[in-house]
Amino acid sequence: MSDSTDVASDVVVAARKRARSLGEKAMGRIFLAPSLGFMALIALFPVIYAVGMSLYNIRGFNQDFVGVENYVRALTDPSFWNAVKNTLIFTVASVSLEFVVGMAFALIMHQAFVGRGLTRAVILVPWVIPTAVAAQVWRYMFDHNPGFVNAVLGTDINWLRDPAWSMVGIISADVWKTAPFVALLLLAGLQTIPKDYYEAAKVDGANVFQRFWLITLPLLRPAIVVALLFRTVDALRMFDFAYVFSGYSNSLATLSVYAQRYLVAEPQLGYANALSTVTFVIVMIVGLGFISRMGRHMVGDVGRKEKR
Amino acid sequence: MSVRSTEGGRDAVRRAQRSRGGVPPAVANALKLLGLLVVVVWCLFPFLWMGMTSLRTGSVALTNPNILQGPFSLGNYQEVVDQGFLFPLRNSLIVASVTTLICIPVAALAGYALARLPLAGKFALLAATLVATLFPPVALVNPLYQMYLKLNEWTGINLLNSYAGMIIPYVALTLPLAIFILATFFAGIPKEIEESAKVDGATPFQAFLRVVAPLAAPGVGAAAILTFVYATNEFLLAFSFAPRDLDVQTVPVFVGTFERVGYENPIGQIMAASVLVSIPLIIFALVLQRRIVAGLTSGAVKG
Repeated sequence: MSDSTDVASDVVVAARKRARSLGEKAMGRIFLAPSLGFMALIALFPVIYAVGMSLYNIRGFNQDFVGVENYVRALTDPSFWNAVKNTLIFTVASVSLEFVVGMAFALIMHQAFVGRGLTRAVILVPWVIPTAVAAQVWRYMFDHNPGFVNAVLGTDINWLRDPAWSMVGIISADVWKTAPFVALLLLAGLQTIPKDYYEAAKVDGANVFQRFWLITLPLLRPAIVVALLFRTVDALRMFDFAYVFSGYSNSLATLSVYAQRYLVAEPQLGYANALSTVTFVIVMIVGLGFISRMGRHMVGDVGRKEKR
Repeated sequence: MSVRSTEGGRDAVRRAQRSRGGVPPAVANALKLLGLLVVVVWCLFPFLWMGMTSLRTGSVALTNPNILQGPFSLGNYQEVVDQGFLFPLRNSLIVASVTTLICIPVAALAGYALARLPLAGKFALLAATLVATLFPPVALVNPLYQMYLKLNEWTGINLLNSYAGMIIPYVALTLPLAIFILATFFAGIPKEIEESAKVDGATPFQAFLRVVAPLAAPGVGAAAILTFVYATNEFLLAFSFAPRDLDVQTVPVFVGTFERVGYENPIGQIMAASVLVSIPLIIFALVLQRRIVAGLTSGAVKG
């Protein structure tokens, strides 16, 4: 008697479980559909469309299929290589400086107790200011008159006309704006490192630099990789600083600026789409390189927690 | 005797500690405060210059780099408001708010599905979401422009020079990061809480809405703030789709493409506009500090 009711209740439970998991499966798909649909329509489809357009020579209403001619043109276009060069210089210089300054700031904030809260609030201020606004402010700070940079440095440099010095200008502006962001990411990482490790190292006689090199850096690696990923990708697709500092001129043109020039200022849509596609591919390759090093770690975290 | 010897021992230890630490505590604390001061000055010095420059008027303001050199007035603010700067402020607020209001609920559903519901290829989907955050906006400029033209041709709906024309790509570009942040937060909520709600007879959807969603509020807040800041910051697409019309132009486009009227150097007006947009954003950052930090670091602190 009792056996049969047990069996019956088992069946009911199993059926309920099945119904629920069916419901959950359907719910999963329904929940995911709006996001995936939207991104497919507004991001994925346009990229495919751009690749298609890049195979045509477009003049007004005339479209002639030219195959990979636009890409060949890019490879033989000195201005394109100039844009590649500018983008790489900007990316390498700004990301490495941001890393060094951000690390210094993170260590300072991690050491201090009095005033840390205030500093952590203030450090968000550069991050929240729109890049185009920051770019204007920095451009005028570097301007001959009445900018103050020459006055403070005691130099007489025409920062906005000389391409090399303009590059220094946009790198400084970018480092100012995003080093604090890097500092926040690294500070969060520092706070996860147990204090005991440092105590133990001290007892073993490790000095400050050894402790930093052998404990802080390795344990901070996940935070470092995430910070470098965000910063590198952002630097590679950078438009605002270069455009506000010197418009479409070749002196500062990054890949985004150079593509935008042929999209809007001097429309040559086939070529422009080839350029934006190349930018897209470069950004994706670099980003995927980072993600393949840490993606499993980040993504796996969601999976791990779920099993708990 | 024994007391004195332990005291002596303590002193020795203290001395040893001091010599190993190198610096006495008072000096160490002063150095720490000095370090913080460097960070604060780094973050704020452009605002001092921006604020003072926005108040300076007359020809001296255009030639003398000394920011304490007057005359000072609110003339630049008057001029920039006369040029319609309040419209871009309003437009940015609307575009960023609507983007956030659309993005977050949609992302919350997807984040919950990825964190909790049984899905085939979940790992691939999460990885794809992460990859989608890399998307360079320049790749959207022309294709979306052409799509907007076609849409106008077919239906008469014009998205160029409209709020919707900016909001649509902003939602698409902010969805991946919002989904990722929210999935991380949802995954951190103990499953037992949800299970007990279901045992009590809640449907999966009720469990999500009544139990999980409120617990994920900090994550929702963080994702919302990041989305909002992205939309107030974005320049390239706004500049491509709504470049001139003051009725829809956003702040970055207004400030970033500020043109001189006549031969006057517009530095004063640009700085006045920058101050006007900075004040609300700075207040926003200070008030929501904790949430912002939680959002920015949600991906980074996983040890």
